[in-house]
Amino acid sequence: MNFSLASTDEQRENLSTLKRKLGRSWQSVGALVVFVAMLALVAISTPTFIGNGGITIIASATAPIVMVALGQALVLNIGSIDLSNASITVLGALLLAMTLGPLGGLAPLVVIIAVTLFGAVNGLLIAFTQVPSFALTLGTFGIFQSAALVVSGATTIYVSQNGGLISVLFQSGIAGLPFTYLLGVLLAVLAWLFLRFTRAGMAMTAIGKNESGAIFSGVKTRWLKVLAFAMSGFMSGMAGIAIIAQAGSASPMGLGSDLLLPGIAAAIVGGTSISGGVTNPINVVFGSMTVALVPIATAAIGVESQAQSLVYGIVIIVTVALTLSRSSNSIVK
Amino acid sequence: MTDKKVDTTPVLVLDKLEKSFGSNKALKGVSFTINPNEVIGLIGENGAGKSTLLKILTGIYQTDAGTIEVNGKKVKFRNPRESVASGIGVVHQEQSLFTNLTVAENIAMNSGSGSSATSKFGFYSWGSIFKSATKTLATIGSKLDPRAIVGDLPFVDRQMVEIARAISVNAGTSGYPLVILDEPTSVLERNETEVLEREIRKIKEFGSVIFVSHRLDEIMRNCDRIIVMRDGELVADRSVNDVTEDELFKLMVGHEAHSLTHARKGLDGAEVPAIEIKDLNRKGKFSNVNFSVRAGRLTAIVGATGSGREDLARALFGAEKIDSGSLMLSGKPVKNWRIPKAVKAGIGYVPSERKVEGMIGGFTAAENVTFTHPGKAAVGPFLIPGARKKIAQSWFDTLDVRPNDISQELGRFSGGNQQKVVMAKWLNSPELRVLILDHPLRGLDPGAAQTVNEQIKLACEKGAAVILLADTLEEALEMGDEVLVMRDGEVTSAFDLAKDNPSTLDLLERMV
Repeated sequence: MNFSLASTDEQRENLSTLKRKLGRSWQSVGALVVFVAMLALVAISTPTFIGNGGITIIASATAPIVMVALGQALVLNIGSIDLSNASITVLGALLLAMTLGPLGGLAPLVVIIAVTLFGAVNGLLIAFTQVPSFALTLGTFGIFQSAALVVSGATTIYVSQNGGLISVLFQSGIAGLPFTYLLGVLLAVLAWLFLRFTRAGMAMTAIGKNESGAIFSGVKTRWLKVLAFAMSGFMSGMAGIAIIAQAGSASPMGLGSDLLLPGIAAAIVGGTSISGGVTNPINVVFGSMTVALVPIATAAIGVESQAQSLVYGIVIIVTVALTLSRSSNSIVK
Repeated sequence: MTDKKVDTTPVLVLDKLEKSFGSNKALKGVSFTINPNEVIGLIGENGAGKSTLLKILTGIYQTDAGTIEVNGKKVKFRNPRESVASGIGVVHQEQSLFTNLTVAENIAMNSGSGSSATSKFGFYSWGSIFKSATKTLATIGSKLDPRAIVGDLPFVDRQMVEIARAISVNAGTSGYPLVILDEPTSVLERNETEVLEREIRKIKEFGSVIFVSHRLDEIMRNCDRIIVMRDGELVADRSVNDVTEDELFKLMVGHEAHSLTHARKGLDGAEVPAIEIKDLNRKGKFSNVNFSVRAGRLTAIVGATGSGREDLARALFGAEKIDSGSLMLSGKPVKNWRIPKAVKAGIGYVPSERKVEGMIGGFTAAENVTFTHPGKAAVGPFLIPGARKKIAQSWFDTLDVRPNDISQELGRFSGGNQQKVVMAKWLNSPELRVLILDHPLRGLDPGAAQTVNEQIKLACEKGAAVILLADTLEEALEMGDEVLVMRDGEVTSAFDLAKDNPSTLDLLERMV
């Protein structure tokens, strides 16, 4: 009697751990599953899409989104938000288009240093003036946008010389996947390793989960915030490079300027929590692919253009509802 | 029984209540009765089933089996509102007031926002809200302004508002209200506790009380009858006259209390104090504080609310600014004192706000243990998860943390077990020089409290200087080598317990 009772208890215990594990693994593959399902839907309804370089199209559309989204995810992870990242991308792309001629191979390096500093300035202002990141980056968003207009003279800047140095990232790749996309994946893996296996990464997550607790554990929260925003600046600049590689030109109102919302959407679809402390950069890649695929897929299937935003909205809501971790917070913001 | 009242219908009758969560049986057939005008003490360790029982009474959980009768009527609460409607009011362990609203609005929350007493057609009737709040406050003898914003009130006054809200449950119904006080004293200072005890006697005149506390002396002072729970069962239901504190402890924990008198070795060889402060000032908080603690010694600081001892403790950890004076660690003065520097210098701080400041609830227990002082769980800036698990597991075994699952989120553990992990977080430092403990036993059951106290002693023996802000004077005298008394931001007296032998009364006199 006793024995049988114990064994059922044990079974129940096993069942509940199994449930927990399944729930956890669903969270980690949810975004991928949604992406594959959507891709399958497209492949069935439009069989020619995949054969005609559809994968390459999706991958190259994903590249700038995933880079911006990774930066956003790192910032969301500390419980902040970066609304200025897309304008940093545009500014970075413009600077690269202007300097690639005179500086050649040195230009990308200079641009990356500059955008990382832009991000760091965001972080410094937030950490030391205590202005909420939403308000502050809303402000710097405008500032970077103005800067983009000023440096470009409000026109499109074409890469005059040395364009091949950068465009090679787009024009070649592995198995139909351009290097810009592969670079995004590489950055995601690095971000994942950083969050999981470094003290700084863990401390950042701690800030997002409980900032007071982090402070009282001796974490230098201010400098880590600066670091997170600098990383977001860096990632945004990488997106700028990807844009130059793909388009060969940049304009203050053109490619990249509309990356803000897709970047946030990709981070969230990839399981990142808006309230901080939860993110997985690998899933952000799948989130970005999903976000990039929706407009391509709706166009390929032949959804009328008026309805494309509707489909976009529904996909995001459904995916987030499926993949969101509800275990840790009883109230989900 | 010689009751003066004619009405002897019990206020509450519980019959064979059962409740399980998965495979875990939280309540295994609990039955008891509460009579009108009776104060019942409910005690038990964390996990004994007290919280589950209270949550059933307040409609948060539903029973699996058994019946509940309130004022003679059989009830089955589906939600908290039904519990309130039947006349059960709760003062929660952690305050649940709306700090941005007035006292009166908070009290009105329980009389039901839809009732005609406080609103018409969904609109507030401010006049009647204030009138009924004034009346309720008068019942418990409080002179609080019902128009005051709760957030502006001191802690003890907020507790009065909670009590007023709890007793306002039966404004409409007949019968006796049943007020549940869920560890109301765990966050109060001694003189505030006295105010609360007076309230309990007031409520007794027109209702009944379930008083939950981990402090057995309070239970003995305030209750008529004591119910002891252990492992989901009722192990004793005794009149307060038939039982002693020691018996209660034994009934709760299942074994005798270990004596905790200081049989400490003490490292008297150390000449230079581990921590020494001279003329330390912070405007409006503390002034001209001087003292030092040598390695291996424990200094307890006692004081009433506003004595500045909490601010002092936080300042020593770098969490509050120091205006002037000097702070020396092993004889070396420090400058620009901030938490990261303090942590690096080997200072640990166990805050009273455990959930907010003491831990990262969303991290696993293992991550919390190794977060600040990773030891072998990190090489340079890189983390070694395997080593982290080993370290955490050995602490879990040493401290008997339950459940013994290091990969569970720390936020899901009970308060006592969380505190054990918070202790481990600092004790994991190989060079713990100073350990500052701000009410380390707050809200802990006696079993967990004993484990924490043993670890404090062990930290002393390993050579840490310990500064303890105790919950009670008895705790201070029991644990301390030295006791400092603070009042209005100043140290008024110091006792070396090796030579002096002050009573709690001696300390109390110097506190107020």
